[in-house]
Amino acid sequence: MRTPRFWSWVIFIVSLLYFFLPLAGMFEFSLRARRGVYSFDAYRNVFADPEFLATFTYSIIMALVTIVVGVLIVTPTAFWVRLKLPNARPLIEFITLLPLVIPPIVIVFGYIRLYNTSSWLPLTGSAAGTNVLLMLGYVVLSLPYMYRAVDTGLRTLDVQTLTEAAQSLGAGWGTILGRIILPNVLVAVLSGAFLTFAIVIGEYVIAALLNRPAFGPFMVWMGGNKAYEPAALAVISFGITWGCMGLIQLVTIFSRHTQAQR
Amino acid sequence: MTKANASTALFGSLTRWLGLAPFLLFALLFLVLPTMHIVLGAFQNPAGRFTLENVAGLADPSITGPFYVSMKISAITALLGCLIGFLLAAAVIHGGLPKALRSAVMTFSGVASNFAGVPLSFAFIATLGRLGLITVVMREVFGVNIYATGFNLISFFGLCMVYLYFQIPLMVLIITPALDGLKREWREAAECLGASGLQYWRMVAFPVLWPSLLGTFALLFANAFGAVATAMALTGSSLTIVPIKLFAQIRGDTLQNPHLGYAIAFGMIVITGIANIVYIVLRARAERWMK
Amino acid sequence: MTLTRKFIASLAAGSALAASLSVPSFGQSMDELMAAAKTEGELTVIALPHDWCGYGGVIDGFKAKYPDIKVNELNPDAGSADEIEAIKANKDNKGPQAPDVIDVGLAFGPTSKADGLTQPYKVATWAEIPDNIKDADGHWYGDYYGVMAFGVNKDLVKTMPADWADLLKPEYANSVALTGDPKASNQAILAILSAGMSRGAAPGKDSGTKGLEFMAELNKAGNFVPVSAKSGTIAQGQTPIVAAWDYNLLAWRDSLKGNPPMEVIVPKSGVLAGVYVQAISAYAPHPNAAKLWMEHLYSDEGQLAWLKGYCHPARFDAMSKAGKIPADLLAKLPPAEAYAAAVFPTVEEQGANKEVVTTGWDAMVGATVK
Repeated sequence: MRTPRFWSWVIFIVSLLYFFLPLAGMFEFSLRARRGVYSFDAYRNVFADPEFLATFTYSIIMALVTIVVGVLIVTPTAFWVRLKLPNARPLIEFITLLPLVIPPIVIVFGYIRLYNTSSWLPLTGSAAGTNVLLMLGYVVLSLPYMYRAVDTGLRTLDVQTLTEAAQSLGAGWGTILGRIILPNVLVAVLSGAFLTFAIVIGEYVIAALLNRPAFGPFMVWMGGNKAYEPAALAVISFGITWGCMGLIQLVTIFSRHTQAQR
Repeated sequence: MTKANASTALFGSLTRWLGLAPFLLFALLFLVLPTMHIVLGAFQNPAGRFTLENVAGLADPSITGPFYVSMKISAITALLGCLIGFLLAAAVIHGGLPKALRSAVMTFSGVASNFAGVPLSFAFIATLGRLGLITVVMREVFGVNIYATGFNLISFFGLCMVYLYFQIPLMVLIITPALDGLKREWREAAECLGASGLQYWRMVAFPVLWPSLLGTFALLFANAFGAVATAMALTGSSLTIVPIKLFAQIRGDTLQNPHLGYAIAFGMIVITGIANIVYIVLRARAERWMK
Repeated sequence: MTLTRKFIASLAAGSALAASLSVPSFGQSMDELMAAAKTEGELTVIALPHDWCGYGGVIDGFKAKYPDIKVNELNPDAGSADEIEAIKANKDNKGPQAPDVIDVGLAFGPTSKADGLTQPYKVATWAEIPDNIKDADGHWYGDYYGVMAFGVNKDLVKTMPADWADLLKPEYANSVALTGDPKASNQAILAILSAGMSRGAAPGKDSGTKGLEFMAELNKAGNFVPVSAKSGTIAQGQTPIVAAWDYNLLAWRDSLKGNPPMEVIVPKSGVLAGVYVQAISAYAPHPNAAKLWMEHLYSDEGQLAWLKGYCHPARFDAMSKAGKIPADLLAKLPPAEAYAAAVFPTVEEQGANKEVVTTGWDAMVGATVK
């Protein structure tokens, strides 16, 4: 099939140009900090900025906490639905798809109006409470991906048999979840985790409207106030996203050798 | 069943549902309730009484304008994203290109679809902005000043270009399973019966694929409609698209009417909701062919 | 400025402060205030970019003087309307989202007092603040001023515009921007006032209308860019020409360090001076820390810190008469001749202008993505 191959190459190369050029442009712009000469000054300025370190650390910690809380909420739920309540599956899946339907800006608008100090759950009344609210907002954002990942992982296991075997040996629910189910879905969980990480690091709307010192608002602030550092930040951010996706691939490939086969 | 058995069965099913309690509580408190609060607020006036005037207030041109612009951008980027994404995915899967390219494209699509937002805007400013790489190269090497032709990154066209950077990969990721589902046997059978390539696509492949295509179009539409960070990083809060209007309203009550903000949010939910329902319905239809 | 003169100046300042300390301001002595603020332990400010009037230095000075008070900085890019909204939205919220103090455009002072969003306080140096920029009851008080000017990226713009009318020329296609949304940002609202003045309108309702007409023409000609301009966007090329306060433009020029080079031009047709005012939120979670902050701002140290940021502080006249201003700082300011002809719109005129602009912007100009 000669002709299709030619057109395939055309499409591929045009797409390659479209996707590659902005990355090249972003990298080149970030090298322009010193007038007339290429240098890594922009990167040096970024790393030397205490705000960068503070907001980046904040977002990393948020991401890790989000992942842990997300796993703790999603894994037992997915497990329970598979085991005892298959009829509830459509309902749970619908709920996990809601964050994709409702724009995050609407969700955070709801948080601000609902959980201020005059409400029964005054989360925005303190910095710590607002941090918790932000983290829960991130969990909501990552819910579709986490649930899908864990569910896919559970699909490859014979949950019924494993649970019965464990129970017959005297294991309680905690042991079953922690020592039998979780290790087997770890690969799937890790995929969801890396995706959550990428989402949280770059997230802007929720952090900005809750006034938390996260990396997203910091990047936007940099974009307006600095000339070449934003491009350096974009390169760093892209590197992180690429790293996360790469780790997902790695983990998936690695899992094919270690996962319990049915 | 005896009475004892029935109550045990009921108790059993109650405890089973209890296992979902943490998740349901979480979803209720941090997903459902905030959204309902907004939806209900759209129908309340400051005194707390039911009113339709907020929704009526949406008819003001300063609000319908942004809605129209948002829908236009979402529709165009969804359409182009579908078209180009489909062509790219088809090229890589069925187009006779080396197998290695397929996994490379898939990996990159995963990255690019998540690269949306602030850094993407920076990348485009650095490339196509007034001092961007391509602008400068075109001027110095080819003697063409693209800005003199009226091109501007901060325009409808420019914004569409930026949005496509995450729309196309999303399309590639979603349409790939559907394209994989096109069995080779069908192609061979069609060729046996004397169909040309075009006829195969028109009469066999597309009828199978169109629910997926339309469904993904709806998903891309919803995706673009709710995107706020990309546009904000590109322009600050002066662009007239709905999410930015809502952002400015939440931050600074620029409309001088808090409940109008609720109405705008409600409008957003309605539009993205419809788009997603279309997607779900069509995806269910499409999955018939996967079996 | 030699060391001895500086020393004498600081002695004079110190004794003046000591003298003012003995005058109770609103019934509290400085020590009581400091103790009460220390108990509160935190101050929440909003909309204070560090390069705006040298606020970075002001905040650092405050932190150095009172290390027990944590300064919580909200949203540096907020406009005046955003600050007002932050007070309103956090009426019942005593958490870190609620601002204690605001720094807003002159026109926003009386409206916030009328809405009951401010509480009165008169700083120790109250008498040295000119009467026409402060509220008699102490709800709001002028802090600094500058004049409206154009900032131009010299790498992208070859001929410098001299005035507002020049900006309509076709060579400035897709070049001109404001610093924010005219519905929220005082700087943008007053830029429009200045544009109106360049068309011969008197400040007030007329300048609002003529200014909006100008912006509509600018938008129609394709010269207006709907981007919130700042130093980054000037350097990256999205907003080669920006209408902003001279102190901001000078600070941005410094921060860019010639890469790219920037020019600051005061429009020929009219020099518009804009005053900002300070106010303490009526719902401030930390009212004593807020009062201490005000004392710091209006102390000689605070006023000179603003001067360093190219702003003219409110007590400028009184301080220069008393010889408190170091000559080297004076030399760095824009030349005094530009300020001699400056027009200071009154509170009422600014209010009328603001009303016209905020309600008419969307309808008349409504910068849409074309």
